[in-house]
Order: sequence, then C-alpha cells, then structure tokens
Amino acid sequence: MIASWYGITGFMLIIYLALDGRNFGAGILHWLVARTPEERRQVIAAIGPLWSWHEVWLVGFGGTLLAVFPKLLASAFAGYYLALFLILWCLILRGISLEVGGHINDRMWQAFWDFVFVLANALLAILFGAAAGNLARGVPLDSNGTFSMAFFTDFTPRGYVGLLDWYTVSVAIFAAVILAAHGATYLTLKTEGPVHDRSASYARVLWAAVAPLLLVISVESAVVRPDLLGDAIHHPCWWLGLLLVCAAAIVLVSGLATRREMRAFIGSNLLLAGLLATGAAAIFPVVLHSTLAPENSLTAYEVAAGPNSLAYAAIWWPISFALATAYFVFVSRQYAGKVSVKRDNQGFY
Amino acid sequence: MNSLFSDPAVWNRIQFAFTITYHYLFPQFTMGLAWFLVYWKWRALRTGAEKYNQAARFWAKIFGLNFAVGVVTGIPMEFQFGTNWAGFSKYAGSVIGQTLAMEGMFAFFLESAFIGALIWGEKRLGPRYHFLAALAVALGSWLSGYFILVTNAFMQHPVGYHIEADGSLGIDSLSTYLLNPWAWVQFAHNQMAALVTGSFVVAALGAFYTLRGIHPVQAKLYLRAGTVMGLIASVLVAFPTGDQQAKLVGKYQPVTLAAMEGRFVGGPRASVALIGQPNIATRQLENPIEVPGALSFLAYGHFGSNVRGLDEFPQESWPDNIELLYYSFHLMITLGTVFILLMSYASFQHWRGRLESSTSLLWVLMLAFPFPYIANTLGWMTAELGRQPWLIYGLFRTSDGYSKVVSSGDTVFTLIGFVGLYFVLGVLFLVLVGREISHGPGGASPAVPGKEPSV
Ligand code: HDD
Ligand code: HEM
Ligand code: HEM
Repeated sequence: MIASWYGITGFMLIIYLALDGRNFGAGILHWLVARTPEERRQVIAAIGPLWSWHEVWLVGFGGTLLAVFPKLLASAFAGYYLALFLILWCLILRGISLEVGGHINDRMWQAFWDFVFVLANALLAILFGAAAGNLARGVPLDSNGTFSMAFFTDFTPRGYVGLLDWYTVSVAIFAAVILAAHGATYLTLKTEGPVHDRSASYARVLWAAVAPLLLVISVESAVVRPDLLGDAIHHPCWWLGLLLVCAAAIVLVSGLATRREMRAFIGSNLLLAGLLATGAAAIFPVVLHSTLAPENSLTAYEVAAGPNSLAYAAIWWPISFALATAYFVFVSRQYAGKVSVKRDNQGFY
Repeated sequence: MNSLFSDPAVWNRIQFAFTITYHYLFPQFTMGLAWFLVYWKWRALRTGAEKYNQAARFWAKIFGLNFAVGVVTGIPMEFQFGTNWAGFSKYAGSVIGQTLAMEGMFAFFLESAFIGALIWGEKRLGPRYHFLAALAVALGSWLSGYFILVTNAFMQHPVGYHIEADGSLGIDSLSTYLLNPWAWVQFAHNQMAALVTGSFVVAALGAFYTLRGIHPVQAKLYLRAGTVMGLIASVLVAFPTGDQQAKLVGKYQPVTLAAMEGRFVGGPRASVALIGQPNIATRQLENPIEVPGALSFLAYGHFGSNVRGLDEFPQESWPDNIELLYYSFHLMITLGTVFILLMSYASFQHWRGRLESSTSLLWVLMLAFPFPYIANTLGWMTAELGRQPWLIYGLFRTSDGYSKVVSSGDTVFTLIGFVGLYFVLGVLFLVLVGREISHGPGGASPAVPGKEPSV
C-alpha cells in the first residue's frame, strides 16, 4: 500500500514536471529562439493558455502528499523553507508575466514581462534541479526527523550540507539543460516559421549535450551515494525505469532524426519520466536520506499517514484521476495545432 | 533577545493571516461571479439575444484576471501548511490532507481545465458547450470552496477522527468528516457571502456605466442582475445562514460566543450590544447600547436562555484578542444589515422602473462594492480569532502548530517578501481590470492577447 502511494505521488510529480518543464524550457530559450517582439508573443502564445492547467498538477501533488505522507511534507517543507519560498515566488512571477504581459500592446511593457518570464522560468528549472539533487544526496536530518539548511555551507555533499554543493549544482545544471531541450522539442512541435526552425536546431544541440551530462551525473551520484546502486539493482522498478529511459531515447532520437515532431516530443516526455522514475526507484524506501547518520533517515513507511487515510484515499484518488485524465483529453484537443506569428490569430486588440 | 521577534508563532500567524486574506479577495469574487456567467450563458442559449453573450464575454475576462491572481496566491497557501505549520501537518495531515488533496484533484482540475474554454473558446465550442464550460467552472469553484471549508470546519469543530498510537490524528470516517454539520452551515453562509460580493461588483459596474451614460443596454443588465441577486444573497447571508453560524458557535464554542459579544458576565436574558467597546482590563463593555434578550434569542431561540459569560471560563481559554474579535463580528453584522437595506431599496426602485434614473442611489451602489470584501474579511477574522488559542478546537493548540525549525527571522523575511510581491500584484491587477472596464463590453475580440493559439 505504502509503496503504491510512493509510486502514485511520484507519478503526479512526474506529470507536473513533464507538463511545466516545457514551460521552464521555453522560458530558458525564449530570447534565443524568438528574436522579434512578434516571435516572442508567439512563444508566449504557445504556452500561455495552459500554464494554470499545468500548475494545478503541482497543487494536486502537494495535496496528495499531505494526505498520504504528512510527516514527509512537514519535515521537508519546513527544512527547505527559504528554497521553497523562492520557488513559490518564481511561480507567482511566472504566472504574472504570462497573464499581464500580453494585456497591453506596448513593446517596453512586453519586453519587461518577457524578462521576468525568462528569469522566473530559468530559476525554476534550476531550483527544481537542485531539489532533485538534494533528494538524492540527502539532507542533515537529526534524530527528531527534522532539519534546517543553509543555502550552502562548504560545498561538499557530506555532513552539514547546504542546499547547494558541487553535486546539487551539477544536477541543477543538468536539469536546466534537459528542460531546455524538452522546451525546444515542444516549441518545435507547437510553432511554425522562424521560431520553429530555431527551436528545432536548439533541440538537436541540447539533446546532444544531455547525453554526456547524464553520464557525468550518474558517475557523480555513484560517488556521492555509493550505497544507492547496490540497493537499486534489486528493485524491479529501477530496471523498469531504466528500460523506459532506453525506449524513450530511441523514440526521441528517431523523432528528431526523421523530423517527426510529435514523436520527438513524446520521446522527450518519456525520457524525463524515465529518468525521474529511475531516480525515485533508486532511493526507495528512503524518502529523506540523512547526511549525518543513516539511522536518522526517514523511510516512506515512517512518514505515511495512518491505514485509514490511505484506504480512503485509495477510493477517491482513482476517481479523481480518471476525471483529470478526461479533462486532459479535452484540454489537449482544445489547444491542438500550431501557433503562428500572425497577429490577428493571437487576439491582439 | 528582541521581544518583537521572540515568539515565532506570532509571525507565522501574521503571515498566514496576511496571505490567506489576500488570497480570499479573489475567490470570493470568482465564486460569486461564476453563477452570473452561467445565468447569462443560459439566457443567451434560451433567447439567442446577443446582449447576454456580450455580458458573459466581458465578465469572463474580469473573471479570468481574478482567477489568475487566485491561482498564484493560492499555491503559497497550500505550501504553507508544510513550511510554516509543520507541527500541524504532522499532527493532523492524515485528516486535513484528505480534503486539501480532494480540493486539488476534484475541484481545481475541473476549474483550470475549463477556464480557458470559458474565456477563449466561445467560437470553437458553440453556444451549448460554452454554457457547459461556464457551468463546469462554477461547479469547480464552489466545490473547491466546499473542500477548503470542510478543512476549516474540522479546525473549528473536529469530527470523524481518532488518535493514533503515535499521538497524531487519523481519520475514522471520511463521510462524517466530509459531512461535518459545521461545514454545511459554514459553506452555506460563506457561499452566500461570496454571492454578495459578486452581486455588488456587478451592480457597481452597472451603476458606473449608467452614471457615465455609456453601454446602456449592458449597464441595465448588470444593474438588474446585481440588485436582484444582491438582495437574495444579502438576506440569505443573515438569515438563516448567519444565524445558524452563531448558533453553532454558541453550542460548540461558548467561550468564543461570549468573547464575540463582549459578554464578560453570564446569565439569562442576554442582550446584544449594538454599540460598545470591550475593556479587558476592567472586564466590562463600555458605553453599551443594548437590545435586551436578543443574544439569548439569537443563540438559543429563547429570550430567557442563559448565555454564559467570559467569567465562567478560565482566562487561558479566552480568545487572545477579544477586542479585535468583538469589532470584527459587530462590524460584519452591521454591514450585513446595511446590505439588506440597500439592496431592498435598489430592488424596489428597479421594480418601479426608476433605478436607472435615481442618480444618488446609483452613486451609492457604485461606491458600495468594497464593503462586501470588508465584510467577508471581517467574517473570517471572527471565525479565526474566535478559534484561538486552538488550532484545532479543543485538540491542538496554535502554539504547537508552527514549524519549530524555522526561525522567526526567516518567517518575517518571507512575510516581507509576500507583502512586496502582493503589493505589485495588486497594482497590476487594478490596472488591468481598470483597462477592461474602460474598454467596456462589446469589444470586437473575445480573446486576450497572446493567448489565443490558431487552430
Ligand atoms: C458579505 C459578507 C458577510 C456578511 C454580510 C455576514 N457574514 Fe458572517 N461570515 C462571513 C461573511 C459575512 C464569512 C466570510 O463568510 C464567514 C467567515 C467564516 C465563514 O465560514 O463565513 C463569516 C462568519 C460568521 C460567523 C463566525 C463563525 C465562526 O466563528 O466560525 C458568525 C457567527 C456569522 N458569520 C454570523 C453572521 C451574522 C449573524 C450576520 C448578519 C448579518 C453575518 N454573519 C453577515
Ligand atoms: C479565506 C478566508 C480565511 C481568512 C481571511 C482567514 C483568516 C485567518 C486569520 C486572520 C488568521 C490569524 C488568526 C490569529 O492569528 O489569531 C488565520 C489563521 C489560520 N487559518 Fe485562517 N482564514 C481563512 C481561511 C482558512 C482556511 C480555509 C483554513 C484551513 C484550511 C485556515 C487555516 C488557518 C490556519 C492553519 C491558521 C494559522 C493558525 C492560527 O492562527 O490559528 N484558514 N486565518
Ligand atoms: C488554507 C486555505 C486555502 C488554501 C490552501 C487554498 C489553496 C488554493 C490553491 C492552491 C489555489 C489555486 C488553484 C488552481 O491552481 O487552480 C486556490 C484557488 C482558489 N481558492 Fe483557495 N485556498 C485556501 C483558501 C480558500 C478559501 C477559504 C476559499 C473559499 C471558500 C478558496 C477558494 C478558492 C477558489 C474558488 C479558487 C480558484 C481560483 C479562483 O477562482 O480565484 N480558497 N486556492
């Protein structure tokens, strides 16, 4: 039961990151793929109508996490206090930049909000990357199951670690690159004209960069957490994740090579999902690893809600998820198709 | 240590109070307005008259702006349970997490999936499906109100839980928890209050356009819908829902009721003070003007009923800010009464066909729209201050709930961050709504720029 809930909450987080990751990536590339004000509006239009639909998956994830792993949420969110507020503020700024940027048709106004858009999205990609690095590396959990952390301490991934050290920084960089690649793949699918062409070439370059970086991260992870791999090879889910990564890479590369944009984008989503699933399976059942003493680490079993809560959630969650999937189909159909630079069909007044 | 910062609980409370009060400025309006959109879309479907579509199209844009701010300010609320209230989440997460998760999964998914279709999908969807999109958004927003109010009702009057071996709460019966009688009353009262806000804003804009002599057809529509709905909702807010709220408080939180009424000494034939200032030091209500027996009647249904006073409870169990609680409650009721009077008169004039020509009434309607926001905020202050010193009434104290690992300096810092960010957000919101209002209904394009992808 608890393992399935770990899977389900992980799955929701993966959906969120795959959905919003394209926005982070599009934000990072905004100035590179779109050169004129019209092209910049085109990028915004490619993601604009859906940002709240994407963000709501984070809300669904957060709520579900509180319901099934309350003690994890309590410990982790309080421990990552300032980092989480940075994420929240970036989410607020990102939402505002999308909402208000287009409302006034003025170059300076839009240039300013484009800047906010780029900054907030880039920071979000980096912060989520650093968070993933933190989950793998561990946090200075004490014997009460609580921790609080500075932004950085001595940049080494052991003992009293900070949010940032050489390991989490490299994961953050990796996250920014892979999300940029994801975003480029999405923009290739979603736009036409010069933005499309530039996105397509960025996608190829960035995906080519992902491969060596992934290798570096894997080696680094093995150095920072030598215990992980030994455990992971006994988890069938870890092997499944790995399989997914390989399959996704094939889909992605064949999509890129044959310019089948939809196929490439599906591959890109699956690759993100596969990497995250592999990571999640590797750390299970520890959800918060202590860098101070292994016995302080918290496992999913220790942080889970009582059996009744899990049983009730097992009733309503599938229903709500089925509904969400139905809305998903509706939303995807509503916004299918490419966005062009033509002003009128972006609805300027 | 500097005493201002020595109690982190205070700063966590101020931060939560600030962010939630700000957040709630937006949902109270969207929850109220949603049914106006449904109504206009339905009329358009029935009569085919373009003016209803035009009204729905225009207000959908205002709705969209409110919704966006509601979303960006709502996400921090969700996170704050973990960041600032870790003790509370650890203790009660298994219970309150159920409704917070259901809110996200059932309500927010529904609302965010259809909001785009409501604002930009009119052409693509056709009249019938566009009506359904409006309905889905309205249902989603009320459903989210319900789930969050169940959460709050549990904090006011916990039901359906048990205590686990490790001392934290577990859920005993999901249906008991979801059907908490407190939640139903609170939902009814709160949603009526949201409709009051929606109605006053709609009527105010109708009055504004009428006074300026522009958009006459639309203005008439807004005035009519706003005053009629405003009257119905204002009456329902006071009776039976507000009355039932007070009865619940009297039944389950008697010390809160005594504090809300500034009632220091108990006894039968309790009066309601129309005016008066509570003085904690001397333990009396100063300069009171009272209606004898009214409180006994309101709280328990008989003029002679005994209403307990604060003197009958140990002082540790008193809400910690009796003055603010008292003023909030009394001002809410005063405003509620004024709303009924104003909307009755406006509806009467409307019925006589004189509303559009009563200039001074139109001025009052136009300037009245901030007051439902004030009344809603006061209502929440009443509920939340009255709950003190408990975070979950009778079970868990506020002073045990905040995150012990977070220093008050961090909390103050993030509070200042929110104040700054929300100030900017508020200014932008007002500018953009102002622009929509000056563009007026009937603009050629139903779309918001940069948003409408080609198909
Ligand atoms: C337009 C806004 C508005 C108006 C005019 C009123 N209320 Fe109200 N009231 C609210 C908006 C509100 C609210 C914001 O919706 C609250 C806060 C918590 C809740 O669920 O509803 C609330 C709470 C609230 C409470 C506190 C419950 C608690 O402690 O948990 C009581 C006793 C009343 N109301 C009673 C009344 C009465 C007798 C009114 C007579 C006119 C009245 N309210 C008018
Ligand atoms: C939108 C309307 C709401 C408003 C305006 C509001 C207002 C407030 C205020 C003024 C406080 C500070 C009380 C004090 O420090 O004495 C507070 C505290 C709090 N409220 Fe609310 N509240 C609202 C809804 C909710 C809901 C729906 C929940 C639960 C889901 C909730 C949970 C809390 C918590 C956890 C605290 C902090 C602990 C405490 O001080 O009791 N609030 N709120
Ligand atoms: C502690 C209390 C609260 C939390 C944690 C919270 C959380 C949230 C979140 C995360 C969102 C964004 C949803 C999205 O992405 O679509 C949101 C929006 C919303 N909230 Fe709150 N909220 C709280 C209080 C309230 C209260 C008291 C109400 C009403 C009774 C309310 C009603 C809404 C509605 C209707 C929306 C939809 C957006 C809108 O229409 O403006 N919320 N809230």
